Amino acid sequence: MRRCAFALVAFAQCVFCAGASAEPFAYITNQKSNDVSVIDLATLRVVATVPVGRSPAGVVAVSATGRVFVSNPDSKTLSVIDMREQRVVATLPAGDGPVGIDASPDGRRLYAADWYTNRLLVFDAEALRPLDAIAVGRAPAGVAVHADGKTVYVAERDDDRIAAIDTTTSQVRARVQVGSHPFALLFDAARKRLYALNVLSDDLSVIDTRSLVVIATVKTGKAPYGAALAEGGTLLYVTNQHDDSVTVIDATTLQVRQTLGGFGYPEGIAAHGNSVYVVNWMDDNVSVLDAKTGRLQRTIATGQNSRGFGAFIGTPPK
Amino acid sequence: MLLHRMLGRAVRPLLALTLTAGLAAPALAHGPTRQKVIEKVTIDAPAAAVWARIKNFNALKDWHPAVADSPADKGNEVGSVRELKLKGGGELTENLEGYSDEQMKYSYRAKDGGALPVTNYTSTIQVTAEGNNKAMVEWRGAFYRAFPNNDPPSDKNDEAAVAAITGVYQSGLANLKKLAEAK
Repeated sequence: MRRCAFALVAFAQCVFCAGASAEPFAYITNQKSNDVSVIDLATLRVVATVPVGRSPAGVVAVSATGRVFVSNPDSKTLSVIDMREQRVVATLPAGDGPVGIDASPDGRRLYAADWYTNRLLVFDAEALRPLDAIAVGRAPAGVAVHADGKTVYVAERDDDRIAAIDTTTSQVRARVQVGSHPFALLFDAARKRLYALNVLSDDLSVIDTRSLVVIATVKTGKAPYGAALAEGGTLLYVTNQHDDSVTVIDATTLQVRQTLGGFGYPEGIAAHGNSVYVVNWMDDNVSVLDAKTGRLQRTIATGQNSRGFGAFIGTPPK
Repeated sequence: MLLHRMLGRAVRPLLALTLTAGLAAPALAHGPTRQKVIEKVTIDAPAAAVWARIKNFNALKDWHPAVADSPADKGNEVGSVRELKLKGGGELTENLEGYSDEQMKYSYRAKDGGALPVTNYTSTIQVTAEGNNKAMVEWRGAFYRAFPNNDPPSDKNDEAAVAAITGVYQSGLANLKKLAEAK
């Protein structure tokens, strides 16, 4: 009987696998409706709405393990969503107000900034256990892990600095002074750079992660809030909350290529294939742009007060 | 926190040190949950006529029933500062951040510590034509509650902030409709 049930489950999973496309999913956190809109990027449809904790903000979709982690600052937890089932499979306590989160590329470690207690929380992302809490600067917001998994960067918003933390020793290796109120971070693996988006100085700091020096500062629109690399990493897209716009920057020359309008308080942004996905907090939807031209292709309705703060696109493992 | 706001940025590090030493490490930062309000009204009047009533940054007193006075120091120039005096008492200072006569809209940011129980408040009002003789006015705002840490008191929580801004927009738009549709 037990064997039979097991076989049935396996069969059901196989059927699901066969039906699912190779395209990934986008996981959009909706801060007011306390859920996550799951968009199938093959069909550009919302295929599931997953209830999570209160006021979900940060998100990281980890393709290596097929898990999505969501930070719920108002319930002080992280929700773990299984990409194959599109449901919450675990909820973890996470300090006093987790915001930005990121995972190591192998999916084994998860890092969450705890806004109220000024710590970076470290979790075993497989066993789903807390491992460490590292003291950082004031109002830690965005988190980004280096491609080698050995360094994690944290935006210390109210100190206008970025902390580079050695993941082996849990020690802050260096701090880099950036613009005013850095919130989101993006790691550029191809160029070994970190982009820090400075919400109050309306620019982004480009940090060389080998020397940990700011090598350039690029002017954006008002209140830059999210960034993504698109077109094979050649274009850097940045959302500007207070201009309802998106700045497109040539990642090689760091020159602004164009500024796109018509967004509604844009926040999270991520790219996949030939498309860029912009999360509009004010309008409760996602704009799908052609990565090359920036042209709007489609708008997808999401939950209320959508944020998608983090790397929200992932593909479940086969 | 009010003291911190009034003193401004320059003395922040010093104050932060004092507070941190005196209390159990309060976070001098906003809670992470931003709120929003979007209110719309449809008016039976041409869009240009409706825009003409509200287009001047200092005209709020002429159409918002709660506002007694609204002088702006640089008119409709970005950076212009509007000092609101409310009829029930209370003041607000707002900075013009964006202005487009062509798109019939303007955006502003309020200084923290004003009469509304919000912080980090930004707002946009826009008129859109719906045919020749109808206009839609949308007023939208993004803000945080007045209380910056966890476990806010009821007069400074998310609900209080949303209720206050909703009240401002609804009463303003209702009165604008009344004025614009009056024969």
